[in-house]
Amino acid sequence: MSDILLEIKDLHAGIEGREILKGVNLTIRRGEVHAVMGPNGAGKSTLSAVLAGRPDYKVLSGSVTYAGRDLLAMPPEERSWAGIFLSFQYPVEIPGVSITNFMKAALNARRKAAGESELKPAEFLKLLKEKMALVQMKGEFAKREVNVGFSGGEKKRNEIFQMAMLEPVLSILDETDSGLDVDALRIVADGVNRLRTPSSASIVITHYQRLLEYIVPDVVHVLKDGRIVTTGGRELVDLIEKQGYDGIDG
Amino acid sequence: MESTDKLVCVVGRDPLPAVTHLESGERLHLTLIVPEGVSCERALEFHLDGPGASLDLAGAWRCSGSEKVKLQVIVRHNAPGCHSEQLFKGVVSGSARAEFDGLVYVAPGAVKTDAHQQCHSLLLSEGAFCEARPQLEIYADDVQCSHGATTGYLNPEELFYMRSRGIPEEEARAMQVEAFLAPVLNRSL
Repeated sequence: MSDILLEIKDLHAGIEGREILKGVNLTIRRGEVHAVMGPNGAGKSTLSAVLAGRPDYKVLSGSVTYAGRDLLAMPPEERSWAGIFLSFQYPVEIPGVSITNFMKAALNARRKAAGESELKPAEFLKLLKEKMALVQMKGEFAKREVNVGFSGGEKKRNEIFQMAMLEPVLSILDETDSGLDVDALRIVADGVNRLRTPSSASIVITHYQRLLEYIVPDVVHVLKDGRIVTTGGRELVDLIEKQGYDGIDG
Repeated sequence: MESTDKLVCVVGRDPLPAVTHLESGERLHLTLIVPEGVSCERALEFHLDGPGASLDLAGAWRCSGSEKVKLQVIVRHNAPGCHSEQLFKGVVSGSARAEFDGLVYVAPGAVKTDAHQQCHSLLLSEGAFCEARPQLEIYADDVQCSHGATTGYLNPEELFYMRSRGIPEEEARAMQVEAFLAPVLNRSL
Protein backbone atom coordinates (compact mmCIF):
# COMPACT_ATOMS: atom_id res chain seq x y z
CA MET A 1 0.00 0.00 0.00
CA SER A 2 1.28 3.41 -0.98
CA ASP A 3 1.86 5.65 1.99
CA ILE A 4 0.52 8.61 0.01
CA LEU A 5 -2.89 9.39 1.47
CA LEU A 6 -3.82 12.57 -0.38
CA GLU A 7 -2.54 14.00 -3.60
CA ILE A 8 -3.78 17.34 -4.87
CA LYS A 9 -2.67 18.25 -8.38
CA ASP A 10 -3.02 21.71 -9.94
CA LEU A 11 -6.33 22.35 -8.20
CA HIS A 12 -8.32 25.34 -9.35
CA ALA A 13 -11.56 26.01 -7.49
CA GLY A 14 -13.84 28.79 -6.41
CA ILE A 15 -17.29 29.96 -5.49
CA GLU A 16 -19.90 32.02 -7.32
CA GLY A 17 -17.77 32.25 -10.45
CA ARG A 18 -14.75 33.57 -8.57
CA GLU A 19 -11.54 31.54 -8.78
CA ILE A 20 -9.94 31.33 -5.34
CA LEU A 21 -7.57 28.36 -5.58
CA LYS A 22 -5.27 28.93 -8.53
CA GLY A 23 -3.24 25.78 -8.89
CA VAL A 24 -2.69 24.05 -5.54
CA ASN A 25 -0.33 21.07 -5.36
CA LEU A 26 -0.08 19.10 -2.13
CA THR A 27 0.99 15.57 -1.22
CA ILE A 28 0.25 14.13 2.21
CA ARG A 29 1.55 10.81 3.50
CA ARG A 30 0.09 8.70 6.25
CA GLY A 31 1.38 9.65 9.70
CA GLU A 32 2.04 13.27 8.75
CA VAL A 33 0.67 16.50 10.13
CA HIS A 34 0.65 19.33 7.60
CA ALA A 35 0.06 22.94 8.54
CA VAL A 36 -1.44 25.24 5.94
CA MET A 37 -0.85 28.84 6.95
CA GLY A 38 -1.63 32.05 5.18
CA PRO A 39 -3.17 35.48 5.40
CA ASN A 40 -6.91 36.10 5.31
CA GLY A 41 -8.39 35.53 1.88
CA ALA A 42 -5.55 33.27 0.71
CA GLY A 43 -7.95 30.37 0.06
CA LYS A 44 -7.41 28.29 3.22
CA SER A 45 -11.08 27.75 3.94
CA THR A 46 -11.81 27.16 0.25
CA LEU A 47 -9.28 24.34 0.31
CA SER A 48 -10.96 22.71 3.29
CA ALA A 49 -14.43 23.22 1.76
CA VAL A 50 -13.39 21.60 -1.53
CA LEU A 51 -11.81 18.63 0.26
CA ALA A 52 -14.97 18.06 2.31
CA GLY A 53 -17.22 18.45 -0.74
CA ARG A 54 -19.19 21.59 0.03
CA PRO A 55 -21.75 21.81 -2.80
CA ASP A 56 -21.48 25.58 -3.34
CA TYR A 57 -17.75 25.39 -4.12
CA LYS A 58 -16.91 24.42 -7.68
CA VAL A 59 -13.78 22.68 -8.87
CA LEU A 60 -12.65 24.26 -12.14
CA SER A 61 -9.74 21.93 -12.94
CA GLY A 62 -7.16 19.67 -11.39
CA SER A 63 -7.46 16.45 -9.41
CA VAL A 64 -7.59 15.19 -5.85
CA THR A 65 -6.75 11.55 -5.19
CA TYR A 66 -7.53 10.19 -1.72
CA ALA A 67 -6.43 6.68 -0.79
CA GLY A 68 -6.33 5.84 -4.49
CA ARG A 69 -9.84 7.18 -5.18
CA ASP A 70 -11.05 10.21 -7.11
CA LEU A 71 -12.14 12.32 -4.16
CA LEU A 72 -13.89 14.97 -6.24
CA ALA A 73 -16.34 12.39 -7.60
CA MET A 74 -17.54 11.46 -4.12
CA PRO A 75 -20.49 13.17 -2.32
CA PRO A 76 -19.73 14.56 1.16
CA GLU A 77 -21.20 11.59 3.04
CA GLU A 78 -19.05 9.13 1.08
CA ARG A 79 -15.97 11.18 1.87
CA SER A 80 -16.88 10.89 5.53
CA TRP A 81 -17.33 7.13 5.26
CA ALA A 82 -13.91 6.94 3.60
CA GLY A 83 -12.36 8.63 6.62
CA ILE A 84 -12.30 12.34 5.83
CA PHE A 85 -13.28 14.70 8.63
CA LEU A 86 -13.56 18.48 8.52
CA SER A 87 -13.52 20.38 11.77
CA PHE A 88 -15.57 23.45 10.80
CA GLN A 89 -14.32 26.96 11.38
CA TYR A 90 -17.92 27.89 12.16
CA PRO A 91 -19.70 24.76 13.46
CA VAL A 92 -23.36 24.72 12.45
CA GLU A 93 -26.27 24.70 14.88
CA ILE A 94 -28.86 21.98 14.31
CA PRO A 95 -31.93 22.86 16.38
CA GLY A 96 -33.96 19.91 17.61
CA VAL A 97 -31.29 17.28 16.96
CA SER A 98 -29.44 16.02 20.03
CA ILE A 99 -25.73 15.21 19.94
CA THR A 100 -26.60 11.61 20.81
CA ASN A 101 -28.99 11.22 17.87
CA PHE A 102 -26.66 13.09 15.55
CA MET A 103 -23.69 10.84 16.31
CA LYS A 104 -25.83 7.69 16.29
CA ALA A 105 -27.07 8.56 12.79
CA ALA A 106 -23.54 9.36 11.63
CA LEU A 107 -21.95 6.17 12.98
CA ASN A 108 -24.75 3.90 11.83
CA ALA A 109 -24.82 5.40 8.33
CA ARG A 110 -21.13 4.66 8.00
CA ARG A 111 -21.57 1.12 9.34
CA LYS A 112 -24.45 0.53 6.95
CA ALA A 113 -22.32 1.73 4.03
CA ALA A 114 -19.63 -0.74 5.10
CA GLY A 115 -22.17 -3.57 5.32
CA GLU A 116 -22.00 -3.73 9.11
CA SER A 117 -24.89 -3.94 11.56
CA GLU A 118 -25.96 -0.99 13.70
CA LEU A 119 -24.16 -0.39 16.98
CA LYS A 120 -25.92 -1.82 20.01
CA PRO A 121 -27.16 0.93 22.38
CA ALA A 122 -24.76 -0.15 25.13
CA GLU A 123 -21.79 -0.15 22.77
CA PHE A 124 -22.75 3.27 21.48
CA LEU A 125 -23.09 4.73 24.99
CA LYS A 126 -19.73 3.34 26.04
CA LEU A 127 -18.07 4.91 23.00
CA LEU A 128 -19.88 8.20 23.58
CA LYS A 129 -18.69 8.45 27.18
CA GLU A 130 -15.15 7.51 26.30
CA LYS A 131 -14.89 10.18 23.59
CA MET A 132 -16.61 12.82 25.69
CA ALA A 133 -13.95 12.30 28.34
CA LEU A 134 -11.28 12.99 25.72
CA VAL A 135 -12.53 16.57 25.29
CA GLN A 136 -13.65 16.91 28.91
CA MET A 137 -17.36 17.07 28.17
CA LYS A 138 -19.77 16.24 30.98
CA GLY A 139 -22.84 13.96 30.95
CA GLU A 140 -25.50 16.53 29.97
CA PHE A 141 -23.54 17.41 26.83
CA ALA A 142 -24.85 14.46 24.81
CA LYS A 143 -28.46 15.51 25.38
CA ARG A 144 -27.95 19.05 24.13
CA GLU A 145 -29.00 20.11 20.64
CA VAL A 146 -26.02 20.16 18.29
CA ASN A 147 -24.13 23.43 18.85
CA VAL A 148 -27.28 25.30 19.93
CA GLY A 149 -26.35 27.80 22.62
CA PHE A 150 -22.76 26.52 22.75
CA SER A 151 -19.94 28.91 23.55
CA GLY A 152 -17.15 29.25 20.98
CA GLY A 153 -14.96 26.89 22.98
CA GLU A 154 -17.73 24.32 23.39
CA LYS A 155 -18.37 24.33 19.65
CA LYS A 156 -14.73 23.56 18.88
CA ARG A 157 -14.58 20.88 21.56
CA ASN A 158 -17.71 19.40 20.00
CA GLU A 159 -15.91 19.26 16.65
CA ILE A 160 -13.01 17.34 18.21
CA PHE A 161 -15.47 15.11 20.04
CA GLN A 162 -17.11 14.24 16.70
CA MET A 163 -13.68 13.66 15.21
CA ALA A 164 -12.93 11.24 18.05
CA MET A 165 -16.23 9.42 17.47
CA LEU A 166 -15.60 9.06 13.74
CA GLU A 167 -11.88 8.20 14.00
CA PRO A 168 -10.95 9.81 10.68
CA VAL A 169 -8.04 8.86 8.45
CA LEU A 170 -7.61 12.41 7.20
CA SER A 171 -8.69 15.20 9.51
CA ILE A 172 -8.83 18.78 8.32
CA LEU A 173 -8.87 21.33 11.11
CA ASP A 174 -10.09 24.64 9.69
CA GLU A 175 -9.06 27.49 12.00
CA THR A 176 -9.85 25.32 14.99
CA ASP A 177 -7.90 27.76 17.17
CA SER A 178 -10.01 30.80 16.32
CA GLY A 179 -12.02 32.03 19.27
CA LEU A 180 -10.42 29.66 21.76
CA ASP A 181 -8.93 30.64 25.08
CA VAL A 182 -5.74 28.91 26.21
CA ASP A 183 -7.50 26.25 28.27
CA ALA A 184 -9.87 25.27 25.46
CA LEU A 185 -6.97 25.33 23.01
CA ARG A 186 -5.06 22.83 25.18
CA ILE A 187 -8.08 20.53 25.44
CA VAL A 188 -8.61 20.63 21.68
CA ALA A 189 -4.91 20.15 20.83
CA ASP A 190 -4.57 17.37 23.38
CA GLY A 191 -7.57 15.60 21.82
CA VAL A 192 -6.12 15.91 18.34
CA ASN A 193 -2.70 14.67 19.45
CA ARG A 194 -4.17 11.62 21.17
CA LEU A 195 -6.08 10.73 18.00
CA ARG A 196 -2.92 10.62 15.89
CA THR A 197 -2.07 7.21 14.46
CA PRO A 198 0.65 6.01 12.05
CA SER A 199 -1.96 5.42 9.35
CA SER A 200 -3.81 8.73 9.65
CA ALA A 201 -2.87 12.28 8.72
CA SER A 202 -4.00 15.82 9.49
CA ILE A 203 -4.16 19.16 7.77
CA VAL A 204 -4.09 21.99 10.27
CA ILE A 205 -5.29 25.24 8.70
CA THR A 206 -4.45 28.30 10.70
CA HIS A 207 -3.68 31.97 10.48
CA TYR A 208 -1.55 32.04 13.62
CA GLN A 209 1.36 30.03 14.95
CA ARG A 210 -0.31 29.56 18.34
CA LEU A 211 -2.05 26.23 17.67
CA LEU A 212 1.14 24.83 16.14
CA GLU A 213 2.88 25.09 19.51
CA TYR A 214 0.48 22.39 20.67
CA ILE A 215 -0.03 20.39 17.48
CA VAL A 216 3.46 20.12 16.02
CA PRO A 217 3.47 19.86 12.22
CA ASP A 218 5.87 17.79 10.12
CA VAL A 219 5.40 19.99 7.08
CA VAL A 220 4.38 23.64 6.85
CA HIS A 221 2.89 25.28 3.75
CA VAL A 222 2.20 28.92 3.11
CA LEU A 223 -0.86 29.59 0.99
CA LYS A 224 -1.03 33.01 -0.63
CA ASP A 225 -3.44 34.18 -3.29
CA GLY A 226 -4.63 30.68 -4.06
CA ARG A 227 -1.22 29.03 -4.40
CA ILE A 228 1.22 27.33 -2.07
CA VAL A 229 4.21 29.67 -2.26
CA THR A 230 6.54 28.01 0.25
CA THR A 231 6.86 24.61 1.90
CA GLY A 232 9.19 23.81 4.74
CA GLY A 233 9.57 22.36 8.20
CA ARG A 234 8.41 23.84 11.46
CA GLU A 235 11.10 26.52 11.29
CA LEU A 236 8.85 28.20 8.73
CA VAL A 237 6.38 28.90 11.53
CA ASP A 238 8.98 30.95 13.41
CA LEU A 239 9.92 32.78 10.24
CA ILE A 240 6.28 33.78 9.66
CA GLU A 241 6.05 34.87 13.26
CA LYS A 242 9.07 37.16 12.79
CA GLN A 243 8.48 38.45 9.26
CA GLY A 244 4.74 38.13 8.71
CA TYR A 245 3.24 36.79 5.50
CA ASP A 246 4.47 39.80 3.50
CA GLY A 247 8.04 38.66 3.97
CA ILE A 248 7.32 35.24 2.50
CA ASP A 249 6.91 34.80 -1.21
CA GLY A 250 8.81 31.63 -1.96
CA MET B 1 -64.27 17.83 25.97
CA GLU B 2 -63.24 18.86 29.46
CA SER B 3 -60.01 17.19 30.30
CA THR B 4 -56.60 17.79 31.74
CA ASP B 5 -55.38 14.83 29.67
CA LYS B 6 -53.31 15.40 26.60
CA LEU B 7 -55.62 14.66 23.71
CA VAL B 8 -54.46 13.83 20.20
CA CYS B 9 -56.70 14.09 17.18
CA VAL B 10 -55.57 12.62 13.90
CA VAL B 11 -57.55 14.34 11.15
CA GLY B 12 -59.24 11.77 8.92
CA ARG B 13 -59.32 9.20 11.74
CA ASP B 14 -60.68 10.83 14.89
CA PRO B 15 -63.94 12.80 15.13
CA LEU B 16 -63.66 16.38 16.26
CA PRO B 17 -66.56 18.77 16.93
CA ALA B 18 -66.65 21.92 14.83
CA VAL B 19 -67.16 24.00 17.97
CA THR B 20 -65.74 23.22 21.40
CA HIS B 21 -66.90 25.16 24.46
CA LEU B 22 -64.75 25.56 27.53
CA GLU B 23 -66.57 26.60 30.70
CA SER B 24 -65.19 28.23 33.82
CA GLY B 25 -61.85 26.78 34.83
CA GLU B 26 -61.89 24.07 32.16
CA ARG B 27 -58.66 23.13 30.46
CA LEU B 28 -58.05 21.52 27.09
CA HIS B 29 -54.71 20.26 25.83
CA LEU B 30 -55.19 19.15 22.24
CA THR B 31 -52.80 18.19 19.44
CA LEU B 32 -54.09 18.02 15.87
CA ILE B 33 -52.20 15.92 13.37
CA VAL B 34 -52.73 15.90 9.62
CA PRO B 35 -50.64 12.94 8.45
CA GLU B 36 -49.02 12.64 5.07
CA GLY B 37 -51.48 11.36 2.47
CA VAL B 38 -54.48 13.26 3.83
CA SER B 39 -56.10 16.17 2.03
CA CYS B 40 -58.60 18.05 4.14
CA GLU B 41 -60.45 21.26 4.75
CA ARG B 42 -61.47 21.90 8.33
CA ALA B 43 -62.89 24.79 10.30
CA LEU B 44 -62.59 24.51 14.06
CA GLU B 45 -63.77 26.87 16.75
CA PHE B 46 -62.85 26.98 20.40
CA HIS B 47 -64.95 29.18 22.66
CA LEU B 48 -63.54 30.07 26.04
CA ASP B 49 -66.88 30.87 27.63
CA GLY B 50 -66.13 30.75 31.36
CA PRO B 51 -63.62 32.77 33.36
CA GLY B 52 -60.21 31.14 33.70
CA ALA B 53 -60.71 28.58 30.91
CA SER B 54 -57.53 27.45 29.25
CA LEU B 55 -56.73 26.10 25.78
CA ASP B 56 -53.38 24.63 24.81
CA LEU B 57 -53.66 23.80 21.11
CA ALA B 58 -51.04 22.59 18.66
CA GLY B 59 -51.13 21.18 15.19
CA ALA B 60 -48.79 19.62 12.68
CA TRP B 61 -49.27 18.79 9.04
CA ARG B 62 -47.11 17.01 6.51
CA CYS B 63 -48.34 17.54 2.98
CA SER B 64 -46.70 15.98 -0.03
CA GLY B 65 -47.54 15.13 -3.62
CA SER B 66 -50.51 17.18 -4.71
CA GLU B 67 -52.29 17.18 -1.34
CA LYS B 68 -54.24 20.17 -0.10
CA VAL B 69 -54.69 21.00 3.54
CA LYS B 70 -56.79 23.95 4.62
CA LEU B 71 -57.24 24.62 8.29
CA GLN B 72 -59.20 27.42 9.85
CA VAL B 73 -58.99 27.85 13.60
CA ILE B 74 -60.98 30.41 15.52
CA VAL B 75 -60.35 30.91 19.21
CA ARG B 76 -62.91 33.13 20.91
CA HIS B 77 -62.16 34.57 24.30
CA ASN B 78 -65.65 35.31 25.58
CA ALA B 79 -64.86 35.57 29.29
CA PRO B 80 -62.23 37.32 31.38
CA GLY B 81 -58.97 35.74 32.52
CA CYS B 82 -58.80 32.96 29.91
CA HIS B 83 -55.59 31.65 28.42
CA SER B 84 -54.98 30.26 24.93
CA GLU B 85 -51.72 29.01 23.49
CA GLN B 86 -51.47 27.86 19.85
CA LEU B 87 -48.54 26.38 17.97
CA PHE B 88 -48.86 25.11 14.40
CA LYS B 89 -46.09 23.62 12.32
CA GLY B 90 -46.40 22.41 8.76
CA VAL B 91 -44.06 20.74 6.30
CA VAL B 92 -45.00 20.98 2.62
CA SER B 93 -43.30 19.20 -0.26
CA GLY B 94 -43.96 18.30 -3.90
CA SER B 95 -46.64 20.54 -5.30
CA ALA B 96 -48.78 20.35 -2.17
CA ARG B 97 -50.62 23.35 -0.70
CA ALA B 98 -51.20 24.17 2.93
CA GLU B 99 -53.31 27.08 4.11
CA PHE B 100 -53.81 28.15 7.67
CA ASP B 101 -56.25 30.79 8.89
CA GLY B 102 -56.01 31.58 12.55
CA LEU B 103 -58.26 34.08 14.26
CA VAL B 104 -58.02 35.04 17.89
CA TYR B 105 -61.10 37.02 18.91
CA VAL B 106 -61.27 38.78 22.25
CA ALA B 107 -64.84 39.81 23.10
CA PRO B 108 -65.74 43.02 24.91
CA GLY B 109 -65.28 42.46 28.62
CA ALA B 110 -62.81 39.58 28.22
CA VAL B 111 -60.17 41.43 30.20
CA LYS B 112 -56.95 39.74 31.38
CA THR B 113 -57.00 37.60 28.26
CA ASP B 114 -53.68 35.89 27.56
CA ALA B 115 -53.62 34.61 23.95
CA HIS B 116 -50.69 33.58 21.80
CA GLN B 117 -50.55 31.97 18.39
CA GLN B 118 -47.66 30.87 16.19
CA CYS B 119 -47.59 29.21 12.80
CA HIS B 120 -44.36 28.03 11.20
CA SER B 121 -44.02 26.42 7.80
CA LEU B 122 -41.20 24.54 6.16
CA LEU B 123 -41.16 24.18 2.38
CA LEU B 124 -39.21 21.27 0.93
CA SER B 125 -39.60 22.03 -2.77
CA GLU B 126 -39.95 24.90 -5.18
CA GLY B 127 -43.47 23.82 -6.11
CA ALA B 128 -44.74 23.59 -2.53
CA PHE B 129 -47.03 26.36 -1.34
CA CYS B 130 -48.11 27.56 2.04
CA GLU B 131 -49.94 30.52 3.37
CA ALA B 132 -50.56 31.50 6.97
CA ARG B 133 -53.02 34.22 7.83
CA PRO B 134 -52.93 34.93 11.54
CA GLN B 135 -55.46 37.50 12.75
CA LEU B 136 -56.21 39.21 16.01
CA GLU B 137 -59.50 40.95 16.79
CA ILE B 138 -59.45 42.56 20.19
CA TYR B 139 -62.39 44.39 21.75
CA ALA B 140 -61.22 44.45 25.36
CA ASP B 141 -58.56 46.34 27.28
CA ASP B 142 -55.87 44.91 29.48
CA VAL B 143 -55.06 41.85 27.39
CA GLN B 144 -51.86 40.12 26.33
CA CYS B 145 -52.02 38.86 22.77
CA SER B 146 -49.40 37.95 20.20
CA HIS B 147 -49.13 36.10 16.93
CA GLY B 148 -46.37 35.19 14.53
CA ALA B 149 -45.87 33.30 11.30
CA THR B 150 -42.71 32.22 9.50
CA THR B 151 -41.97 30.32 6.31
CA GLY B 152 -38.60 28.81 5.49
CA TYR B 153 -36.62 26.23 3.59
CA LEU B 154 -34.25 23.61 4.98
CA ASN B 155 -30.95 25.18 5.82
CA PRO B 156 -28.24 24.06 3.34
CA GLU B 157 -25.51 24.74 5.93
CA GLU B 158 -27.13 22.26 8.30
CA LEU B 159 -27.51 19.77 5.49
CA PHE B 160 -23.84 19.97 4.52
CA TYR B 161 -22.74 19.74 8.15
CA MET B 162 -24.74 16.53 8.61
CA ARG B 163 -23.53 15.05 5.33
CA SER B 164 -19.93 15.86 6.22
CA ARG B 165 -20.42 13.59 9.24
CA GLY B 166 -21.59 10.75 7.02
CA ILE B 167 -25.35 11.17 7.28
CA PRO B 168 -26.78 10.64 3.76
CA GLU B 169 -28.67 13.55 2.24
CA GLU B 170 -32.13 11.96 2.45
CA GLU B 171 -31.65 10.96 6.07
CA ALA B 172 -30.28 14.39 6.96
CA ARG B 173 -33.39 16.02 5.45
CA ALA B 174 -35.65 13.61 7.33
CA MET B 175 -33.88 14.44 10.60
CA GLN B 176 -34.33 18.15 9.96
CA VAL B 177 -38.04 17.68 9.24
CA GLU B 178 -38.46 15.57 12.37
CA ALA B 179 -36.66 18.19 14.44
CA PHE B 180 -38.89 20.90 12.98
CA LEU B 181 -42.11 19.06 13.87
CA ALA B 182 -40.88 17.72 17.22
CA PRO B 183 -42.22 20.58 19.39
CA VAL B 184 -45.74 19.62 18.25
CA LEU B 185 -45.38 15.85 17.91
CA ASN B 186 -43.53 15.30 21.18
CA ARG B 187 -45.75 17.41 23.39
CA SER B 188 -48.42 14.75 23.80
CA LEU B 189 -45.91 12.03 24.73
